[in-house]
Amino acid sequence: MDSQTPAIAIDGIFTAYDKADVLIDVSLVVPQGRITCLLGSNGAGKSTLIRSILGLTPPHRGSITVFGEEVAGQPTHKVIAKGVACIPEGRKMFPKLTVAENLRLGAYQEPSEAEIRRRLAEVYETFPRLAERRGQLAGTMSGGEQAMVSIGRGLMGKPRVLLIDEPSLGLSPLYVKENFRIIETLRNQGLTVFLVEQNVHQTLAIADAGYVLSGGRVVAQGTAEALKTNAEVHAAYFG
Amino acid sequence: MDLLGQYLINGLMLGTIYALVAVGFTLFFGVLDVIKFSHGDVLMVGAFTGFTAASAAGALGFSHPLAQLAATVVFALAGTALLGAAVAKWLILPLKNAPRLNILLATLMLGTALRESVRLFYPDGSNPKAFPSLLPTSAWQFGNFTLRADSAILVVTGIAVIVGLHLLINRTRLGLAIRAVAQDEETARTMGINYTLIVLVTFALGSGIAAVAGVMDGLYYNEINFGMGLLLGLIGFSAAIIGGLGNLYGAILGGFLFAALQMVGAVAMPFASAYKDVFAFAVVIALMAWKPTGLIPERSSDRV
Repeated sequence: MDSQTPAIAIDGIFTAYDKADVLIDVSLVVPQGRITCLLGSNGAGKSTLIRSILGLTPPHRGSITVFGEEVAGQPTHKVIAKGVACIPEGRKMFPKLTVAENLRLGAYQEPSEAEIRRRLAEVYETFPRLAERRGQLAGTMSGGEQAMVSIGRGLMGKPRVLLIDEPSLGLSPLYVKENFRIIETLRNQGLTVFLVEQNVHQTLAIADAGYVLSGGRVVAQGTAEALKTNAEVHAAYFG
Repeated sequence: MDLLGQYLINGLMLGTIYALVAVGFTLFFGVLDVIKFSHGDVLMVGAFTGFTAASAAGALGFSHPLAQLAATVVFALAGTALLGAAVAKWLILPLKNAPRLNILLATLMLGTALRESVRLFYPDGSNPKAFPSLLPTSAWQFGNFTLRADSAILVVTGIAVIVGLHLLINRTRLGLAIRAVAQDEETARTMGINYTLIVLVTFALGSGIAAVAGVMDGLYYNEINFGMGLLLGLIGFSAAIIGGLGNLYGAILGGFLFAALQMVGAVAMPFASAYKDVFAFAVVIALMAWKPTGLIPERSSDRV
């Protein structure tokens, strides 16, 4: 695999629920080894874009490639098989499964039990709290602990590209700071990250480049530095 | 004492059969939120498939009961598993986004179609069939109480299937995927689970288990008929409901509870034991009024 091949390349997609298009001619590129962010206010279509990539709400027009292979219209498990993992909005624990079972589901497509155990050990090393609570039902944990499970579960699949949808949503500022620090560490270890967020300042502080979505269209794009001073970014949020 | 022992073994037998039917309802509701009313008739098809396999094995010269039993079980399981998966693939999944009542009605009609097809197209299908006795007929004597070997084998087998299902659901990767799909379909997909495959496997599993119940019923009563799935399906459904639909252990509990109610009805009204079903269903109605969500209530997040 050429390291110049984009991890994700989206070209002119239109995605609709029922008949109304939520994404209109959206194109963007997530290069390998960087944090690419997608900013936008509530209802801009950010989650729909994630759903389009994952095949949960497939686009009715346009192309999505993951490491050069077309995935638009493929069922979700085939997209995941290309090396994609997602830390979904609102954490989406399986509340009646234990912490360890939740984590194992992140490595569902890994056939080797030894490899799964090795990854579990890694996650427990990163989050010692989860090791203490591995037998506890995930639904009984605090919001911050669930965020750890969600991140750990995303890493269990050893993804080549990690989609993260609104990691700051519903968390205390302390946890938000911690989450962003972890995301930055992952990038420094070589992981490709596509970070979807409303929180402009903290996101641009760790991202390398980004896009701004408003009303289902990309209204601005550029390096994180450029976006910090871009008028469109402010317009998309405030006006 | 001897009569009580007889009631006990009979109740255990029926409870096991009912529990095996009820877990199907609860599995299907768990993964797909649907009630599949053709379940009892799929069971009947399983019993007839097993009966046909036993007869065919006999006609082909495999006269040993064990060979016939093996043919019965293998064909009944495989046939109903395929039938269950086919129903899921071509009837239920296409209707997934339709109103729940439509699925209920569609499967109810499918059940009728299966039942009528067996009645009309199976050779002499409208008459009961004598299911062969394939199990050892020896018996043990405990004082006045006689324990027949076939009853003991059937109860132990049924309970082994239930324990096996419990282990499958709780200890295997497939079971983990089934539980994940039951709790949150979309997140389960995001984990890389092949959703459609898991639904089909779950329907094959639940239907195969119903076939075990159908064959048990045939071996125990030495008779099957095209309408046998009607009452068994209804009882299995009631058992799943009183246990708490969507909860595996509730369904098992419900199955044994229903059998216990029938036994209580038969013991309490020896002069009118034909009314034991009336008694049991009446208590089920009272139970539903008392605990509308079942004895082990299902919370939205508490599937399978």
